This record gives sequence, C-alpha cells and structure tokens, in this order.
Amino acid sequence: MSAALIHLSNLGFAWPGQPELLDIDSFTLQRGESLFLKGPSGSGKTTLLGLLGGVQKPNRGSIRLLDQDLSTLSASARDRFRVDHTGYIFQQFNLLPFLSVRENVELPCHFSKLRASRAVQRHGSVTKATNALLAHLGLHQPELLQRRAGDLSIGQQQRVAAARALIGQPELVIADEPTSALDADAREAFLELLFAECREAGSSLLFVSHDQSLARLFDRSLSLAELNKATRLAEI
Amino acid sequence: MYLLRLALASLGNRRFTAWLTVFAIALSVCLLLAVERVRTEARASFANTISGTDLIVGARSGSVNLLLYSVFRIGNATNNIRWESFEHFADHRQVKWAIPISLGDSHRGYRVMGTSPAYFEHYRYARSQPLQLSSGRAFADDPFEVVLGAEVAKALNYQLNQELVLAHGVATISLVKHDDKPFKVVGILKRTGTPVDRTLHISLAGMEALHVDWQNGMPARGAAKVSAEQARAMDLQPKQITAVMLGLKSKIATFSLQREINEFRGEPLLAILPGVALQELWSLMGTAEKALFVVSLFVVLTGLIGMLTAILTSLNERRREMAILRSVGARPWHIASLLIVEAFALALAGVLLGLLLLYLGIAGAQGYVQANYGLYLPLNLPTRYEWTLLGAILSAALLMGCVPAWRAYRQSLADGLSIRL
Repeated sequence: MSAALIHLSNLGFAWPGQPELLDIDSFTLQRGESLFLKGPSGSGKTTLLGLLGGVQKPNRGSIRLLDQDLSTLSASARDRFRVDHTGYIFQQFNLLPFLSVRENVELPCHFSKLRASRAVQRHGSVTKATNALLAHLGLHQPELLQRRAGDLSIGQQQRVAAARALIGQPELVIADEPTSALDADAREAFLELLFAECREAGSSLLFVSHDQSLARLFDRSLSLAELNKATRLAEI
Repeated sequence: MYLLRLALASLGNRRFTAWLTVFAIALSVCLLLAVERVRTEARASFANTISGTDLIVGARSGSVNLLLYSVFRIGNATNNIRWESFEHFADHRQVKWAIPISLGDSHRGYRVMGTSPAYFEHYRYARSQPLQLSSGRAFADDPFEVVLGAEVAKALNYQLNQELVLAHGVATISLVKHDDKPFKVVGILKRTGTPVDRTLHISLAGMEALHVDWQNGMPARGAAKVSAEQARAMDLQPKQITAVMLGLKSKIATFSLQREINEFRGEPLLAILPGVALQELWSLMGTAEKALFVVSLFVVLTGLIGMLTAILTSLNERRREMAILRSVGARPWHIASLLIVEAFALALAGVLLGLLLLYLGIAGAQGYVQANYGLYLPLNLPTRYEWTLLGAILSAALLMGCVPAWRAYRQSLADGLSIRL
C-alpha cells in the first residue's frame, strides 16, 4: 500500500456542453497529512470535491483513493466507498435540524457498516464513540446530545459536524469552508480541535477555504487556481 | 427501518403542512367510506324491506307507487279495494295467506296501518324473518288497541298501556284528531330496520271504528257522534281496504295469479311482484348513488394530489437535507425511498385518521340517521370491500410517491454533495 491517500493524475472534467472546468496534471495527499487548499469561488472547488466524493466521474485521468481507482467503481459502489472512507464538513447548516445532536453524529454509522464497526472497535459502542468525540470537541453536557441540532449555535453545530465527519475514523476528512461562519477566535479554536481529532483518528484532512490566514496552521498549502490548468488558461 | 425514522423526523420538521395533508386525506377517506357505507346499507335495508310476500295487490296505478305506499308508507293510494275483492282472492285456491292493509291515518308523523292478525303471523322481512314483539302482545278483539313499531315507541317514548290519539290523514300539521277514540298500546315490536319500525299497527276494526261516524271526509258533530263505547258495540267490518299482501301455496302460480288479478272483472286491480318492483325502484335511485360514489372517489384523488403538491413543493427547500444525507452515505435510492416512505406515511396516517373520523361520525350520527332516515349504520369493522378501497388509496399514494421520489433521485444525482444556499 502506498503512502498516498489521494492521487489524481491527468484529471480532466467538464460538465456536459461546457468547456473543461478541471484540468489537473497531478495531485497527491499523503496519509495523515493536513492540506490547505485555497479555492476561490469559480476555481472548480465544488466540482473537485464532487469528484473526490465519487459523485461525479472524471472525463479523463484517474482518481485514486486508498489505491482504489474511483472511476472503475459503479455509482453505488462509489457511494459506499465514500461513506466508508470520507467524512464531510461543510460551510454551515451541516446538520439535519430535526434530528438530535446524537442522531446527527451517528448518521454515517447507519449507512456504513465499516465506520460503525470501527467506532465499536475503538470505543465499545457507537453511542460511546459519539459521547467521546463530542466531549473532545468541547460538547460535554449530556442533555445537549438530546437537543434538536437546529437549536444549537453555529459554533456548536460545526463541532457536531466535525464529530460526525470523524466518527468511525474515516481515512479522509474533507472540510469545505467549515469556519467561514465562525468569528476569528472561534476559527482557530475549531481548527485546533479538528487537527487534534484528525491526528487521534489518523485521518488526513483536506481543508478547502479562501481564507489564506489559516494556511499557516496546516502541514502544506496549495492553491487550486495554480493546480488547475483550466482556470489558469481562462484567466489568461 | 432507519429510513422510516428519517422520513418521520423530516415530516415532523414540517408538521404543519404534514398535518394539513393528512387531514385532507382523512376527510376524503372518511367521505368515501361514509358514502360507501350509506350506499351499502341503503341498498341492503332496501332489499330487506319485505320478503316472503309473493304478490302485492292494490288499486290500479303504477307498480312503484303501489310498492311505495304499501311497503314504504310513502305517498298515498289513489284508490281503495273493496272488501269483497279481498275476500275473493284471500279464498283463492292458490293463496296460502292474505294480509289486508288499510292506510290513511297517522300519529305524530308516523303512519298508522290497519291490518289483521295475519300480519303478525305471515309478514316477513330481510331473510324470511318474522315480526317479533319485544313486549306486550298483538292487538286482539278490542278495536282500540295499537301495536307500535320499535322506532315509534323509542322516539315518542311510549310504554305499554299508554293511551294515544291518532290523527286523520297523513300531513304533519293541522290534522283533525281522532281524540274521541284513544288507543291503548298493547304491544311493541322488535326493531326490524324496515318501515315497520315507523308504523303504528291497529286492527281493521279499529280503523273502521275511527271513521264510523265520519261523513264526507269530515268528523260528525253533536248527536251524530259515536263514542268509543258505542263504536265497540257496532259492526266494524270494513267495506274497503288499501292493499293486500298475498302468500301463495306455490311460487309457480305467481304469474298466473298475477294475470288473474290484473284481469279481475270486479274492479280494476294491480298485482306486483315485490322483488321486481324493488329493483325497479332501486334502479331509479341507483344513478344518484353511483354519482355520489364517483364524486367521493374524486375527492380522494384531490386529497392525494394535495399530498403530491405538498411533497413536490418541499423538495426544493429540502435539497440541503438531501445533500447532507448524501454526504453521510445515503445513496440516491435511499433518497428516493425516503420520499416514497413519506408519501405512504402521510396516506396511511390519513387513512387511519379517516377511519377514526368515520367511526366517530357513525357513533355520533347513528341514532339521528336511524330516527330520521330509518337507516341503520353499523359500527362494524371495515368490510372486505372497504379494505380493498383503503388498499387502493394506499397503493395510489405509493404510486404518487414515485413522482417526487424520481425527481429527488434526479436532483440528488445532479446536486451531489454540494449544498445550494
């Protein structure tokens, strides 16, 4: 098994009837690495995340996640592969507001046996895994776990989302602007917690944001605009 | 199972529209079942009105008219039959029994029927059920005795031995009362679910006694008046009656006797077969009944379309929900199933609430409907046909759920994990 968690090579993607949006020669994310990917809007960020999640298929080139070429898998196998190995945190409104905090965190375990079994292996049960993760992320109060997710503050919601992304130790956590709704102090605090938890779970973190000031906290920083030849050409 | 939990939680999040939808479906289901039940019961009680009688004989008019006044106590006879004619056919060799009936008076909106003891012996309704007394006895020799139908006794709260006064004619207001000749309640019949329940039965002699001193349709005055006591002493043999019910020794003779009666030289008579006339009458009302059923089917369809609209409108604002579910591993078919489950849950809740409304409604209106329309609506479990209807409604909801499911499926494939604000 190679050390690379994600490896893109010679990747090209275009929406039907539109010019090529992504054109990436090579991109690698190592296991356990935290990478800051600077992606202004229009740089193909959403599309890239869609490709990494296996929601879309590239027109050419390959996407390898854990040495598995995603484009050779069927749509439903890609869906299964995604939830088994990737946790997601989005910008905001990450949670299903009508479920409790606990139910939100445990969602991936209902769709992925692998993550459920890993959570059980590590913590004894999915419930205990949820408690532990939330406690690590600063959500200790037991009554909080029963509350509707929609009633929490934005900061709390993002931490719940992080716990959901991390439950069952997926190899990869993809965070898409998770801090944009938080104020500056809360941003760094949230990131510290996220790093600590990723380290503990052994997950790689792919963090997409346009906020350059956070880049210094990561192992490595990259700009999608530079990586993606398609937008470079468009800008010229 | 977890999908069910998700679908219900999501519905709970939109509980106001969800309840409105459920309520719309419930009302439509309740309406459909109520119409169906009334329809079935009306038809059944209709067909059960009379049985065992082979021929009904009256003055010559229409067969439906004769059936209406002789059996349903609706409308009036155009003419009477002479007692000699009755005797002629009652003694006919093919005739096993004959029940004379004489109509024209009423008591507080209920018809009074003069008849003979043969009525209690031979009249049959439903599946050859005889009339039974719940208390007291049939009228006997005294002319001023009355046997009440079950509903009359219940609605007017009459007990045995109570005295009551009959009114001349059948209009409900400003009647001339036969208040000089009160009748005594000697018997109350068991409920039959037929017009018998709404009838007061007196002997032909009693009927004759009421009118013995009448002249030209007016009660006698002064010295010409005949008291009840005097009337008892008089010869109360009636000279004419309204109709006759005949039971034959052999069914095979029915048609030949019918022809014989219709061709009777003594006076113009009409004999009808009750079953045939019932069918004829029902076919008159059948169209209205079918139309009602079709209308209520459309109401159900409207309810389901309302549900479809509610789910489809919610789809757009639920793209985020779908995207989150996709990001935690839900596959597009999960999303589609969620919507089908949602449609089914709404319809099921609607059907159950509809049933509840129906039973509450029947429990509440049962007495009223029976008292006013003579229709007994039973509080029984849904019949197999009603289950079929409910099943069809749920299937239709499932089928309709496929529309938003298909759209959400397409939508979640296109949206993927991206959340649009």
